[in-house]
Amino acid sequence: MDMNLKIHRFVEGKKWVQDYKLTVKTGMTVLEALTEVKEKQDPTLSFTCSCRSSICGACAVRVNGNAELSCEVLVETLMKRYKTDTLVIEPLGNFKVIRDLVVDWDPKYATIKKIKPVIEPKKEFSLETGCKQSPEEFNKFKKYAKCILCGSCVSECNKSALNQEDFLSPFVFVKAERLVADSRNRSPQEQLKAIVEAGLWRCFNCQECTAKCPKGLDPAGAIEKLKESTFAHKLDDNVGARHAKAIYDDISDSGTLDESKLNIKSEGLIMAALRAPMAVRLMRTGKMNPMNGHPVNPEIETIRKIVKNAEAASKEAE
Amino acid sequence: MKYALFPGCVLEGAAAEAYTSLKKVCEKLNIGIEEIPNWTCCGASHAQGVNDLAALAVNARNISIAEHMGLDIMTVCNTCTLQLRVAKKRLDEDKALREKVNKILKDSGHPYEYKGTSKVTHFLWILDEHPELLKGKVEKPLSGVKVAAYYGCHILRPEEVMKHGESNQNAVYMENLIKALGAEPVPFSASHKCCGFHAQLAAEHDVLTVTGQIVDSADKAEAAAIVTPCPLCQMQLDMYEPEGRDAVGSKAEVPVLHLQQLVGFALGLSKADMGFDRHVSGQKKLKIG
Repeated sequence: MDMNLKIHRFVEGKKWVQDYKLTVKTGMTVLEALTEVKEKQDPTLSFTCSCRSSICGACAVRVNGNAELSCEVLVETLMKRYKTDTLVIEPLGNFKVIRDLVVDWDPKYATIKKIKPVIEPKKEFSLETGCKQSPEEFNKFKKYAKCILCGSCVSECNKSALNQEDFLSPFVFVKAERLVADSRNRSPQEQLKAIVEAGLWRCFNCQECTAKCPKGLDPAGAIEKLKESTFAHKLDDNVGARHAKAIYDDISDSGTLDESKLNIKSEGLIMAALRAPMAVRLMRTGKMNPMNGHPVNPEIETIRKIVKNAEAASKEAE
Repeated sequence: MKYALFPGCVLEGAAAEAYTSLKKVCEKLNIGIEEIPNWTCCGASHAQGVNDLAALAVNARNISIAEHMGLDIMTVCNTCTLQLRVAKKRLDEDKALREKVNKILKDSGHPYEYKGTSKVTHFLWILDEHPELLKGKVEKPLSGVKVAAYYGCHILRPEEVMKHGESNQNAVYMENLIKALGAEPVPFSASHKCCGFHAQLAAEHDVLTVTGQIVDSADKAEAAAIVTPCPLCQMQLDMYEPEGRDAVGSKAEVPVLHLQQLVGFALGLSKADMGFDRHVSGQKKLKIG
């Protein structure tokens, strides 16, 4: 079976898409296809790879619009998924490209520094006694320690595609949750403060990062855990946190969202007042009617108890 | 065919036309729907960021009521579908968590425990899985109407929770439905992108930019309408379309339809039946219904 590769090339400021043809062998990975092109057809093609075992994270590229670890994914799998004999291979999205499929990690590493990525051990630890933790404590963050820094999670991140200056790449949030959830950490408060400032609440919740992580680490879930921690540390005085809290409180207040009050609760009266033209637009089309009272769920007492009991159970688990 | 309907908050409020049109379309298609009594908000993809266990318990309650009705759950909102399916997956796969949540429900006086007996599905998935529902019902095929299929995020991702069809990354089931209605799905680069609804307040400029980009992309594809299975995406793209245009310097004005409205038009229902007068954008541009 033959296949076509359309590879996005970029050399010294010049961009083009180059076509290659090769024969698909059983079990051929995308990385093997790239290697065959480089060895037999075009030695100028540049890409990165190392372990060929899905461990080092060096070989991620974008294939037909979606990030993949090229040493892991089979060409046949992708041809079947996209019902095509043509694979379009690009460098990862939301990265600066150095050459062809090689991207620049330095700016990304620099953003990791924003979250203060070190653990200052609690005072009870010492050189003599070490920094012990129980298996249960270790289990709280061990999943997030498995990030291989492949960059797949950021490639199709919808927020990063618009502006990375006020937002962290998803893997940085994974790293952050790994640190914040570590029982040996003396000051998760400081890290959480930095994470909020670096854009925690600007996540679109598009789930692309979770969909793309080849290690199943669920970066979007890590972001939600970090948000939860900011409430526990009283770092919730910002529009994103107030909006989430307003929605959460509506469940206990009435059972459902009271749309007419959400903006006021989230942004405050003055900011919400500035949105008057939008409110008028919605009233004109009948989408909003401030005269309508918001109904209260007949089982609201039970619902309130469920929320309260769940909050008590989460506290107990801490 | 009958489902326990989880309408979700916006169908009772800003997107009420999505509910009225759904009822009319389901009646025409002989899909029975009975609203889950006293359901609550699914958490709207925000509550778990305040307290995860509370958000989970609230959805366990929602699902348990449908289980007591002896019905599978139908949703018409991507985010409600994701929140309910995430809750179901976690409760089905983790016995200790299920017991913990059931204790919370019992201690709070809720009469039913979560058992895991009801599936959670979406209106679009039901139409995709049962093409026979439309057989002989398309009274007014939407011939020549070009439509941009906008999936939104939460019906596609993450795949391990929202798996439908052969591949979520190459999902084409909405395009297939558009064809079954007689219309023509257009190639549309923003089809699987995010509308940004959930970050509208926290990242407003970026969200309005992406709103404008999506509508502009549909316009460039010569779509007469965008159709979406999610009322939140619909609200973002329709209500904020003017601001989206300003953010990207576009002149594109494209009507944004709820999926059930497009189906309704093909079934012979009118714009008034489908509540199109409640839309903000493209009032004069929609030539169907």
